[in-house]
Amino acid sequence: MSKLNQDELFRVVEYSADAAERIGYSNYSYWRSVWQNFLKKKSAVFMALVFIVLVAFSFIALRIGNYPNYAELVSSPTETFLTPNSQYWFGTDNIGRDYWCQVWFSAQVSIKLALVVAIGEAIVGVIIGCLWGYVRWLDRPLTELYNIINNIPTVIYLTLVAMIVGQSFTIMAVSIIATHWLVMARNVRNLVLMYRDREYNLASRCLGTPVWRVLSKNIFPYLISVVILRLALSIPGTISLESTLSYLGLGLGFETPSLGLLLRNARNFFLVYPHLLVFPAVIVSLITVTFYLVGNAVSDAADPRNHV
Amino acid sequence: MKRKGTRILAFLLVAMMVLTACGGGNNQKNNTPGDNSTAGNDSTPSDTTEPTAPSNGGEPIKDLVTWETAGNREMENFFMIGTEQAKDLNVLCNAISPLLEVDPHGVLQPAVATKWNTPDGGVTWDFVLRDDVTWVDVKGEYKADCTAQDWVTAMEWILNYHKNASQNTSMLCAMVVGAQDYYDYTKGLDEATALALTTENNPEFDKVGIKSADATHLTYTCAQPCPYFDTLCISAALYPVSQAEIDEKGVENMLGMTNETMWYSGPYTITEYIMNNTKTLTKNESYWDKDASLFDTVTITMIEDVNMDDTLYETEEVHNTELSEANSKIIMDNPSDPRNEYLTETRLKKYSYQYQLNFDRRNADGTPDTNWNTAVANENFRKSLYYGINLKTTWARTNRVHPVDLENLCFSMKGLLYFSDGRDYTDAVIEKLDEIKAYDGENSRRFNEKLALEYRDKAIEELTAQGVTFPIEVNAWIKAGSDYAGPTVLKENWEGTLGTDYIVYKINEYVTSPNSEVVDPHLQSYYGSGWGADYGDVENFLDQIVIGRDYAYYANKYTNINELPEGSETRKLFEEFTAKVDEAKAITDDLDARYEKFAEAEAFLLNHALSIPSTYENAWQLTHINDYSKMNALYGCQNYTYKNWETSTEAYTADDYAQFKADFEANQ
Amino acid sequence: MFKYTVKRLLQSVLTVLIIVTIVFLCMRALPTDFFFTEDQMMKLDDQQKEDILAKAGLLDPIPTQLFRYYGQILSGDFGTSRRIQNGTSVLEIIGGKFTISMRLGLSSMAISLTLGILLGVLQARQKDRLMDHVGTVYTVFVNSVPPLVSYSLVLVFGSRVLGLPSLYSNKNIGMSSILPVVCLALTSIAHYALWTRRYMVDESTKDYIKLARIKGMSTQSIMVKHILKNAFVPLVQYIPASIILTFGGTLLVERFFSVPGMGTLMVDAIQRYDTEVVQTCVMIYAFLGIIGVFLGDLAMTLFDPRIKLAGGGETR
Repeated sequence: MSKLNQDELFRVVEYSADAAERIGYSNYSYWRSVWQNFLKKKSAVFMALVFIVLVAFSFIALRIGNYPNYAELVSSPTETFLTPNSQYWFGTDNIGRDYWCQVWFSAQVSIKLALVVAIGEAIVGVIIGCLWGYVRWLDRPLTELYNIINNIPTVIYLTLVAMIVGQSFTIMAVSIIATHWLVMARNVRNLVLMYRDREYNLASRCLGTPVWRVLSKNIFPYLISVVILRLALSIPGTISLESTLSYLGLGLGFETPSLGLLLRNARNFFLVYPHLLVFPAVIVSLITVTFYLVGNAVSDAADPRNHV
Repeated sequence: MKRKGTRILAFLLVAMMVLTACGGGNNQKNNTPGDNSTAGNDSTPSDTTEPTAPSNGGEPIKDLVTWETAGNREMENFFMIGTEQAKDLNVLCNAISPLLEVDPHGVLQPAVATKWNTPDGGVTWDFVLRDDVTWVDVKGEYKADCTAQDWVTAMEWILNYHKNASQNTSMLCAMVVGAQDYYDYTKGLDEATALALTTENNPEFDKVGIKSADATHLTYTCAQPCPYFDTLCISAALYPVSQAEIDEKGVENMLGMTNETMWYSGPYTITEYIMNNTKTLTKNESYWDKDASLFDTVTITMIEDVNMDDTLYETEEVHNTELSEANSKIIMDNPSDPRNEYLTETRLKKYSYQYQLNFDRRNADGTPDTNWNTAVANENFRKSLYYGINLKTTWARTNRVHPVDLENLCFSMKGLLYFSDGRDYTDAVIEKLDEIKAYDGENSRRFNEKLALEYRDKAIEELTAQGVTFPIEVNAWIKAGSDYAGPTVLKENWEGTLGTDYIVYKINEYVTSPNSEVVDPHLQSYYGSGWGADYGDVENFLDQIVIGRDYAYYANKYTNINELPEGSETRKLFEEFTAKVDEAKAITDDLDARYEKFAEAEAFLLNHALSIPSTYENAWQLTHINDYSKMNALYGCQNYTYKNWETSTEAYTADDYAQFKADFEANQ
Repeated sequence: MFKYTVKRLLQSVLTVLIIVTIVFLCMRALPTDFFFTEDQMMKLDDQQKEDILAKAGLLDPIPTQLFRYYGQILSGDFGTSRRIQNGTSVLEIIGGKFTISMRLGLSSMAISLTLGILLGVLQARQKDRLMDHVGTVYTVFVNSVPPLVSYSLVLVFGSRVLGLPSLYSNKNIGMSSILPVVCLALTSIAHYALWTRRYMVDESTKDYIKLARIKGMSTQSIMVKHILKNAFVPLVQYIPASIILTFGGTLLVERFFSVPGMGTLMVDAIQRYDTEVVQTCVMIYAFLGIIGVFLGDLAMTLFDPRIKLAGGGETR
């Protein structure tokens, strides 16, 4: 580097109000940063696209298939167990119904259930988790509640629900949310405990900021990455729980067949007619893998500590 | 780096050894069906009971392995007279010897009773018993002699309200003199007193119609003539229990007996019972019937779903399989599949299925469903259903080859009874039915599109005048979460011919209890149900749907005919039917005449479409067992007695089975 | 420490009591139809049914039944089964199943702990190289394929190709346990591999590892002495709970292979309204769960002396 004298290095600038304002300004936006970080993970972006295409296609598929509506499906005793062909793209099932329509319809049901459960559990979990961590006197009773619910095996509890209340989409969604919010709430509570007594929060409290505002403005942003990760894991969890329940005959109702139900039925035939198992299984796996990868990527991206 | 790897590997090996060591302790010879011939060689051949070699070149199987489904065949009781459930009795019938047995044709044969007769046309029944029957424990050690007194003790137990939770009481109370009175008497006692009662010094019990003059003579007295009373001998209600066993265990512990503690007098002892897994029967060496051919052991594997037996048969882990829908299709559609040669049909199961129409359907809010009730009271409407439902595709789901063989045209069960000339009772009924076509092996004999549409048009005309709106909703119910393939096909069977502007078949779901959720609030339009006989008489079927009787199960539960308004047309039909049944029941001296009268009553019921017969059950199978050698009665609990079964280490072919069937029918 | 243990045990008893009460009330909310078999439903008249229910004490007011039940438990009487095996004591029924579940569970735990940790270690060592990718693919695969499907595949492969017994059998426990154990281990191997790798990778970026490297320690001994040991601490907390929970059996595997274990017993008992069995099972599950967590905490203090147990340790 050549030696430069001071005049060359520095020069006097005119005072500009505009430029002075710019001090302290950075181009940083939280969500844009999240988005940029997420885009860096190519595999996750790809899987996310695949998933969006899958969901979109499930609607298109029903349109272009033989039967746009599940209720219109008819059986055909002469066309049972057909392998995929030009008329029935996914073949037919044991009573000769178009499998294409069933698979896509069930995929919609399963995805809908998983999303409803994920959102429900996030809302309940975050709210209760924040209160649990922040409001001291709630700690004892909520911890006790956690121990109680956590120690009754989920299947037993869902069996009882199915036997007492019945089986339908709403019942299943509500009862899964009713157990699964626990894990979310516990994670949130632990984080809230960590951040509750940081200096800036103490300051906020001294200034008389209401509790909900401290929670929503000061603490919640730290929770986003954990919440997203939990959500991403909850979706495959719900789908697999639902398929286990279907196997036990405790699944969704008659008019809302799910992928789990198709898998259960296919289990009786898959050795001889593997296509009945393969199609729903591939879709389930696709959804699961997507949420693992995308969830991890988004959660990394959402963590403010990873933002530069 | 390398060393680390081996150390972890060593840990793994230890873990594997833990696993195998856990299993090693009990590592006995695994008798899979595949190696039976070798397994048979090293067991000492038993004396005179060596069965004759099967005709197809195989050896008789010594250690049978078969299966049952865990969902509905898991045992709950070991006390035979304390249960009425098939799941228990199917096994226990091997453990205890009855008075009489049946042969493959369903004809009564002597067992513990060598001779029996009724001197007065069915009121008193005398049995002469063998004197060499003994009770043994699970290890085969002698416990006591089995005498006529044991049947008396059993009767007291069954009728004693406090000893027995009303199991097996209903038929005895209805038939045996004094039985109902004794039941009511014990009900009035306090528990301790009732439990202390025995057959000794029991003046109230002495009034019940059962006496044992000595160890080998037993007499029953019926309240009115029961020409079929002997058929009751093969139901659990007439099985024995030893007073010595009760004394040994204590009255309150009888219900809790297990295979380890119970006493045996039958061909096998239940040497192992593992819930959800296996039941093992071992030959009882002190069994009285030395000529019977028995297996050394019978292992019943419990499987979770109905498809598993196919897989197990494939890997030679069981000796028979009932083929699932998928497997039967893949075999039958592929002529080069070697298994085609081995496909055989099971015999019909003992249930006769009908659709019981509900004449008093209510809506969910409890108000009467006037639309349906008016429609179902119209004979033309009923007949349009009777002739218009084509069940062929439903039958084809279980029997792809001969679907129409599953067509049930009657209310009572085929093969239950025969006239003295050997003619089946149900054939007599079918002769009297209107518009039934001849059997052609292809089409339903009853389904008649032209007729159905005629009746439909008449019904539309008449019902519209009565203010009925179309389409009429048919409400069917299934258990939530159950397989919906069956109901879907059924929906198409109902609606297919008659059209959805006439009837709409609506599938509803109940959560758990069909009784409290559907039947009690009268929510069903019809109830599809199967009846298996309790004893060998048509009365047991027809009695279920007579009007104005407490014992009529279908009438009180499913059809609600007692709610029909006095003087209504349908009520009159049922009253006429009931009168015909009563007439038939009154004939006790001439069985042919009795059956003829029953047939008339049954044909009357069906010709007015008051009940719609639907289906029989059977399946296609691959098997090492000759079904035509099994005991087979359409009533009672003995069909799963593993006695005198013909088996072969070589699977039977379709030709073998054709031969068996021909021989069987020739001996009818 | 002692005081803490006692306090936590007392709390656990309370929790279990509440759980049992909830389940007790749930069972009473089911229609009493379940009390009867299908045949009984058909053959008994309403009076007879009512008599039977009264005899079983099911018509008493719920609080009376509840307190009677508390009394029973306190005197150590867990009742007798009614529909699972009529008249047999509940403890006897559970006892047999417990051993079977335990045997399978422990075997699969042993396998999955060794294989899982081994795989995790290999992955961490070869981060972003072949072994790591293989491990990741396995983990993702196992977690994404629904268990119904993977168990079916194991069953078919095991019975058709390897000729192993398809169903669990008491006559041949060793061989017939293989398939269920493999199915049980399948997912937990992935689980342990995932967490071992995660903790080891986290640990390997810490400053003291750098220091150790600078000191000139071999990669080998850093791995064993530092990374693995420290990565093991968070892992060890969940191991006792996992081991103890295997005693509870797993529903799906048991159904698949006809294993007569605890998992199926529970659901069967609920569906047959066998209240005593259900209540006892739930009690056992709850106790096992609570003890598992407690032992986990203890194990953690053993492995990491820096951790001290104090109040409120149940939730982390």
